[in-house]
Amino acid sequence: MTVLLATTGLDISYGKVVACRDISIDVAEGEIVTLIGANGAGKSTTLRAIAGVIKPRTGVILFEGRDITALPSHERSRLGIALVPEGRHVFSNLTVRENLELGGFKYRKDHARVRTLVDAMFAMFTRLRERAGQKAGTLSGGEQQMLALGRAMMSEPRLLCLDEPSLGLAPLIVQDIFRTISSINAGGTSVLLVEQNARYALQIASRGYVLQTGSITASGRCDQLREDTRVQEAYLGRMST
Amino acid sequence: MISIVLQQGINGIVIGSLYVLVALGLTLIYGVLVQINFAHADIVTLGAFAAYATTHFFGESYVVGIAAALIAGAALGWLVNATIFSPLRERGSELLPLIATIGVSIMLQNAMLALLGPIPYAFDTPYSNHVLRLGGLFLTVQNMLIIVVSSASIILLYGFMRFTFLGKALRAVAQDRETAGLLGINSNQLIMLTFVIASALAGMSGALLGPVLVLTPFAGTSVIVKAFAIVIIGGFGNIEGTIIAGLLVGFIESFTTQFLDPGLIDIVVFALLLLTLAVRPTGLIADKREENV
Repeated sequence: MTVLLATTGLDISYGKVVACRDISIDVAEGEIVTLIGANGAGKSTTLRAIAGVIKPRTGVILFEGRDITALPSHERSRLGIALVPEGRHVFSNLTVRENLELGGFKYRKDHARVRTLVDAMFAMFTRLRERAGQKAGTLSGGEQQMLALGRAMMSEPRLLCLDEPSLGLAPLIVQDIFRTISSINAGGTSVLLVEQNARYALQIASRGYVLQTGSITASGRCDQLREDTRVQEAYLGRMST
Repeated sequence: MISIVLQQGINGIVIGSLYVLVALGLTLIYGVLVQINFAHADIVTLGAFAAYATTHFFGESYVVGIAAALIAGAALGWLVNATIFSPLRERGSELLPLIATIGVSIMLQNAMLALLGPIPYAFDTPYSNHVLRLGGLFLTVQNMLIIVVSSASIILLYGFMRFTFLGKALRAVAQDRETAGLLGINSNQLIMLTFVIASALAGMSGALLGPVLVLTPFAGTSVIVKAFAIVIIGGFGNIEGTIIAGLLVGFIESFTTQFLDPGLIDIVVFALLLLTLAVRPTGLIADKREENV
């Protein structure tokens, strides 16, 4: 498998506080890879560094073999990295349709393409079509998550990074979201998933990394991680297998 | 009596739409950057002088003067943002750019003072003396021009923000710059666009105000205080609110002049400002306050 994204030795800090140490992960084409770990373990920070929202202090990020460490987030987006941020961050005063359109910002000169993509998103998320003209702030949490997903997919990314997509959502809706993520992946988009719900994450992903206080403490195929007693105790609860 | 009310209504629209043009730029920049631009007043002044120079030195028509003021304003907005505000923002401080706008304002005022002197210029336009009669009402061609140019600009700006890809992106940047960046939107470019649009509006309003103002290097300052009041009454960053508040202040000004005393205008306007701050600190149409830009 070809490597799509590879980070080596990322050190990330907020001011003097070190958030991540020596993070080296990779995502191959077509894969779903998950980062699991407790709150504050540095999962979101890693994702944000990959999307270019924050700059690592040291380390290298390669995307399709190209060094993108110095690129700002808007250029990474154009290369094919999309991030659905934690808390969704839809533009609440813009309509659902406007939110989607902005996701296709790099195609802004090709109106027909933007329209086709918006229709494709409406086909994937039928609830959004019903709410096309509504302000995004009036949507429910689940609908906002769908909108954030659709908005990210508007740029037809190679790599979709998801930061806690299930946070604060009802279990049924969470299942829906994860089904959608699987089908997006089946369509050829690689996924890097940060998730506090480790059980779901390990089911849907093929490989995973376990982060603890800013460092990777375990990694491997998800079926192996599920068997790992340390992972079970820390993130899955003793009862589960 | 009715004709007096109508006449003052027209006067109020004329004054109000000029204030709206000035205030819209302030509110645009505030909406996107959450920054007050004190140099805005001096771009108004520069626009007035650009139009004056075009008509009085180069003998072009007043309409060409308005266009020149618009271009001069846009160019100055671009220059000031590119050389001063943008590099300061890069350093991540909120306070530095704010203080820099005061510095730029003082610099521009004194540069114009050194160049043009303190004595007021008499800005004549052929349109000020040309009066149209509509029934019992009077309207100078100049005032007609002000209403037409202002409404056209306001409609164009509104359409741009509402219907174009860049306008939507601008609203997105105003709301959440980081997320806009994740979607491939270069917020620095859109901030520049905001400065250029805001400054073009300011320059143009200077050209329209020129014949009314006492045209000195400090001319813009007298307008900007009211523009700030309008931005606050309308709700910082709120375009619709700014338009309504601007017209409201225009009406207050014309009716106070007619029925009370011109000297009371500022007292009434700033009483309204204080009342707004006390009762609805987020602006007159507070429900829509979130709609930054």
